[in-house]
Amino acid sequence: MLELLLKGFWSGIAAVGFAILFNVPKRTLFPIGALGAIGGLVKFGLMYFGVGIVFSSFVGATVVGIISIQMAHLKNSPPLVFSIPGVIPMVPGAFAYRMMLGLIALIQLEDSDTYIQTLIDMVNNGAKMSFILMSLAIGVSMPMLITRKESIKRSKFNKEKKVTV
Amino acid sequence: MGQIVENTQTVGNTLLEVGALLMSSGASTHRTRVTLNRIANGLGYEIESLITQRAIMLTIIEEDQKYLFSRLKRISPLKPNFKMVSGISHLSWNVMEEKWSLQQINAELDRLKSLPHYPRWVLLTTVGAAGSGFCYLFGGDPLNMLVAFVATVIGLFVRQEATKLKFNPYLCVFFAAFVASFIAGLSELFGIGSQPDKAVATSVLFLVPGIPLINSVTDMIDGNIQNGLVRAINGLMIAFAIAVGLFTSRMILNF
Repeated sequence: MLELLLKGFWSGIAAVGFAILFNVPKRTLFPIGALGAIGGLVKFGLMYFGVGIVFSSFVGATVVGIISIQMAHLKNSPPLVFSIPGVIPMVPGAFAYRMMLGLIALIQLEDSDTYIQTLIDMVNNGAKMSFILMSLAIGVSMPMLITRKESIKRSKFNKEKKVTV
Repeated sequence: MGQIVENTQTVGNTLLEVGALLMSSGASTHRTRVTLNRIANGLGYEIESLITQRAIMLTIIEEDQKYLFSRLKRISPLKPNFKMVSGISHLSWNVMEEKWSLQQINAELDRLKSLPHYPRWVLLTTVGAAGSGFCYLFGGDPLNMLVAFVATVIGLFVRQEATKLKFNPYLCVFFAAFVASFIAGLSELFGIGSQPDKAVATSVLFLVPGIPLINSVTDMIDGNIQNGLVRAINGLMIAFAIAVGLFTSRMILNF
């Protein structure tokens, strides 16, 4: 359990690091850290209860996407300012690395038995990596597409001023 | 009459600048188009725009169709800057609601462009901390995390310096990935920490092309398939540059 909380904490740190790399406004730094931590907690929490890594990543990214829309209202910044740094801690770097190593090994191997095993591992890691990446990207942009029939601020604006844009 | 022509031109140039700034700061195509339309409508113009990854084309339509403005502007390569995206979003609403004039818009654009980035040491340390965070998430121990921190900081420094020397952007990523994974790979050589391979894997993660890949999916779902494909391929090329950097350092260390 403590490990889970620590994972959430370090996810938040990773999100803040990327937020600074992307030069976000200062007022959004803390929310982004919290968002990264929540996303990490959801993802690793689901994995803790035995859910597969692809689906956990998808749910985590969706939660980040939904909360980032609320944050956009609160902090007056577009949702992508929150959502992109928020999902980056879930990037499947380890699988990508293992796939790379497998690829390098394949170039050098001659023996057919180990060759097949290495090939299987590589394809497995590569498939996991690409599906996690896809589920992250789709999960984080879905909430925005569903709630944004037009624009976050426009719905409020039209009611007040009756302007057709 | 000359006044109208002049106005149309200055408005058009400002709009082009706004579009180029948004695209190069990391906004999606849909957001760029909506923002341009909003500002143009706020100033009382109708526009049609063609937005691609590296150039933007804009036509202003006057009410009486007498004066035409149509111009193409190059967009500089992606340089993530969410302060700009956020600031221009505010600006567009101010134009709509507070009826900002063109002078006010230009003044605000100048102010946004002059906003400072975070100081370099803040950038290096927080991104380094992010690297060690990744290392923890993948199961590294405190020593591995320290290695990932050092490797990330040096890698980011190399990338910044290479960018200053105006190397090809993919080459900058390659240099950074090579140096970072080489430093982390040394820990594998000397047996620092329990899982040095985790440090190597996470030392290059600060280079992941998050904005191109996520914006690519957003763009494609929005129907901007062409831009989505360009972004996806850009993201893949960055990923490939990281892979080649890792590959090179592994080859040298395993030699």
